[in-house]
Amino acid sequence: MDIEGAIDSAVAEVGTALLGKEAQIRLALCCLLSRGHLLIEDLPGMGKTTLSHALAAVLGLSYKRVQFTSDLLPADILGVSVYNRNDGSFTFHPGPVFTQVLLADEINRTTPRTQSALLEAMAEGQVTIEGETRRLPRPFFVIATQNPIHQSGTYPLPESQLDRFLMRLHLGYPDPQAERQMLLNTTAGEDPEAALQRCLTPEELESCRAATSQVHVADSVLDYLQRLVAFTRERAEFAVGLSPRGALALLDCARTWAFMNRRQHIVPEDLQAVLAAVAAHRLVPSGDYAGDGHALVDLMQRSVDVIRS
Amino acid sequence: MSQTLAVGTLIPRNALVWIIISQFALLAPHLTRLPLWLVLVYLATAVWRILVFQGRASFPGRALRALLAVAGFVAIYLSYGNLLGLEPTVALLLVAFAFKLLELVKLKDAYVLLFLGYFICVIGFLFSQDLLLVLYALFTLVLVTTGLVALHRPREDRFRLGSVRLPALMLAQAFPLMLVLFFLFPRIGPLWTVPVKSHAAKTGVSDFMKPGDISTLSQSGEVAFRVQFEGDIPPKSGLYWRGLVFSVLDEGAWRSLRYNELPAGELRQPAVTPKGTPLSYSVLMLPTQQNWLYSLRYAEPEQRGILRTSDFRLYSPVEIEEQMQYKVRSWPATSLELELSAWRRQTELALPAQHNPATRELAQRLRRDAQDDAGFVDAVLRYFREEPFIYTLQPPLLDTQDPMDQFLLQTRRGFCEHYAYAFVVMMRAAGVPARVVAGYQGGEVNPVNRTVIVHQFDAHAWAEVWLEGQGWVRIDPTAAVSPDRIELGLEEAVAGEGSFLANSPLSPLRYRGVNWVNMLRLRYDALTYQWQSWVVGFDGEEQYRLLQNLFGSIRTPVFAGVVLASGALVLLPVAWLLLRRRRPPALPPEQALYLDFCEQMHKRGITRRPGEAPGSFGRRIALEAPALQQWANHVTTVFDQLEYSRDSGEPAAHRQQLAHLRQLLRRGPQVQ
Repeated sequence: MDIEGAIDSAVAEVGTALLGKEAQIRLALCCLLSRGHLLIEDLPGMGKTTLSHALAAVLGLSYKRVQFTSDLLPADILGVSVYNRNDGSFTFHPGPVFTQVLLADEINRTTPRTQSALLEAMAEGQVTIEGETRRLPRPFFVIATQNPIHQSGTYPLPESQLDRFLMRLHLGYPDPQAERQMLLNTTAGEDPEAALQRCLTPEELESCRAATSQVHVADSVLDYLQRLVAFTRERAEFAVGLSPRGALALLDCARTWAFMNRRQHIVPEDLQAVLAAVAAHRLVPSGDYAGDGHALVDLMQRSVDVIRS
Repeated sequence: MSQTLAVGTLIPRNALVWIIISQFALLAPHLTRLPLWLVLVYLATAVWRILVFQGRASFPGRALRALLAVAGFVAIYLSYGNLLGLEPTVALLLVAFAFKLLELVKLKDAYVLLFLGYFICVIGFLFSQDLLLVLYALFTLVLVTTGLVALHRPREDRFRLGSVRLPALMLAQAFPLMLVLFFLFPRIGPLWTVPVKSHAAKTGVSDFMKPGDISTLSQSGEVAFRVQFEGDIPPKSGLYWRGLVFSVLDEGAWRSLRYNELPAGELRQPAVTPKGTPLSYSVLMLPTQQNWLYSLRYAEPEQRGILRTSDFRLYSPVEIEEQMQYKVRSWPATSLELELSAWRRQTELALPAQHNPATRELAQRLRRDAQDDAGFVDAVLRYFREEPFIYTLQPPLLDTQDPMDQFLLQTRRGFCEHYAYAFVVMMRAAGVPARVVAGYQGGEVNPVNRTVIVHQFDAHAWAEVWLEGQGWVRIDPTAAVSPDRIELGLEEAVAGEGSFLANSPLSPLRYRGVNWVNMLRLRYDALTYQWQSWVVGFDGEEQYRLLQNLFGSIRTPVFAGVVLASGALVLLPVAWLLLRRRRPPALPPEQALYLDFCEQMHKRGITRRPGEAPGSFGRRIALEAPALQQWANHVTTVFDQLEYSRDSGEPAAHRQQLAHLRQLLRRGPQVQ
């Protein structure tokens, strides 16, 4: 089976655990295949944890979960050195961050101090504890979940840190059909999560990365991308436009998306498919504009034509 | 109203806010002329419309709207007493403008309302053409245009004041065109006259005078006229602006001779030999709704259309309803009417019998003691000077039977008209021909542009006495009582009693003592003079003169040519700039071909949405028009290959694909 087929089966496999959310699953996989961290924002009980767990399982990666609380300290994530009485030395006990997929559940419940410890790990792929730098396993993904910020007792992530997540996804309520299927499954006593099969080997994951970088980007696509980015920087509706990192993230994700769709080149739809997930959390509407990031993405997509006119 | 409306036809929230703001702004300059309840109507309609927007009220039904319209008519009739005339009509328009807000359902209604707003912008000029009002009208113009622009903005826009920037810019761009139209648009005479003269519209000195008239006028700080002298400005004490000559004392009031009272031989002005050097000046008069013009003694108009009367005044055959500028030359030293006709002598000596016996007796006694008429005049003036007469803006009321007896012997407090009245009565009682002259005295010299500003409070009445060998001689009895009035002006003369402009505490004239206020006022007045004489005064005649100077004789083709050429001169650069900026760079051939495909699909009823990518569009076509699916897929695939894939780099393959695409498009879909 080729890699694309393996990806399709991974999507299908996760789909057995999280019903009726194929679009979000594809985007989440796209994010991980592009080596990016994922932020899932939704109300409790929408399947955020299920999705992240299932993703780790189908990719065959080690998985740890940290429930973020307001009294969580950086050491609780990174690990501590403990004095060993037998040989009179300090032994490092690695924290949950030493894993391949880390689920940071409700990341906005913890203090900025702990958040930033995690964010350093995300950006660098390594952590520094007591002056010693330790590399994290490869690949290293953080899947963070977040409650909508207007709930009480939360520390919303600042824009600069949101930018470190390649994508932000909303899951939303399942459609009635999928929900009924889910209800039936639980009454039958099945646990779909337990039965998940690994679909991609680490080698395939690595070659996927290589194949993605081979995807062709035509001049007109770059042109379209640049016009989209320029739009966010020029128009009054945007307080903060897309950064160069944001533009790069768009291109990366569009490449992976094209690859997942068995294409050797990017077409504008690829950009449009990932646009909302990649751009919405990086855009800040100006004070005069009533809409949020998603409204801005809509505005971008409506206003910038694929063909320059 | 239970109509269902497409979203596109609803009025955005912002536009509604701007419309309401501009309604109030348009109402504001008329407030002084309108009944107070109109403001309540505006508030009520605005609140109502906002409640409708919030869904807490509904639009008025047909019956209620009809009722409101009738109520508007009735209320205006009750407030003004009639429905015709300028002010009631303007009030009607403004009421309708407010009620229209309650019919503001669709975009179409908003257009009607805003275009009406543009009309209301200019209505203020029917009442005043003041510079400040012009600036205010420009401001309202921007507001109304902002409402118009807001109608076309996305409905999720928040309200912000910065929205006026774009409309202001648009109006600024229209400015050159406005200038062209100002200079060239034909000044068509009015097709009908606006009935301006409703109540109290006449201003200035009126054509009869009772004691108390001029002191009332002196409460006003308004400008009556402005004068620009060629050469030096004569001293203040020489500035007696004659407007009216009162020769008839009738039922306690002085009035001029009516035209039909003049015998045939007295209609023309007696011949005069001008003496001394003339003063040349031009007078810019504000509308008075009266006929008489103001000038210094012995004036000859330098333009046609101004008549000279037999008592040496200037007279306009049409009432002055707009501001008027006229040039005059005056010879102050000229003797007037050295020979007095018998009719004239008799007229200027007439006194109604049985009135003021004590005054007559006093006059005759003083005449007996004097050697001649001139000595008698001196004696009367000495009487005014030496007896305890007081010059005041607040004279006591006089009884109607013998007002002068009461004034001369009891109250002895009076304003200029009292002194002029008493003086002329005494002269006539003693057989010396005399008459009252009314007009303005003095004026304020504006150092900024050397104009003389004559205010209403400069209104004055004095006397003229006919002396053998000298003709009519000006005698100002007020000067005998209060020399300050003539030398320094009214403000100084009544400084002690604090009655100067007592009813207008905010008038900048009251603060002449504060240096910068005064300077600001004078500068603004100079600006007003320029504005009034160059812009407001640019009428059909001026326009004709300008065009004649520029282009020689004016024939229709020349005029049309000038209009078109100057319009083009203004608009072409703008058009060129716009076109240059808009022209898109040439599209690559495959994109042009794809747009051609989109056009073909559009004709078949499926339009590519803004921002829709070719792939998504292809899928939509497959859904909406399965018959076209095959063709559309084919085109999309080929375009996709050409535009986005790696293979498109090879020239040969590229050309081939391009030809293929072209062929596909030419052939069109093969619909079975």
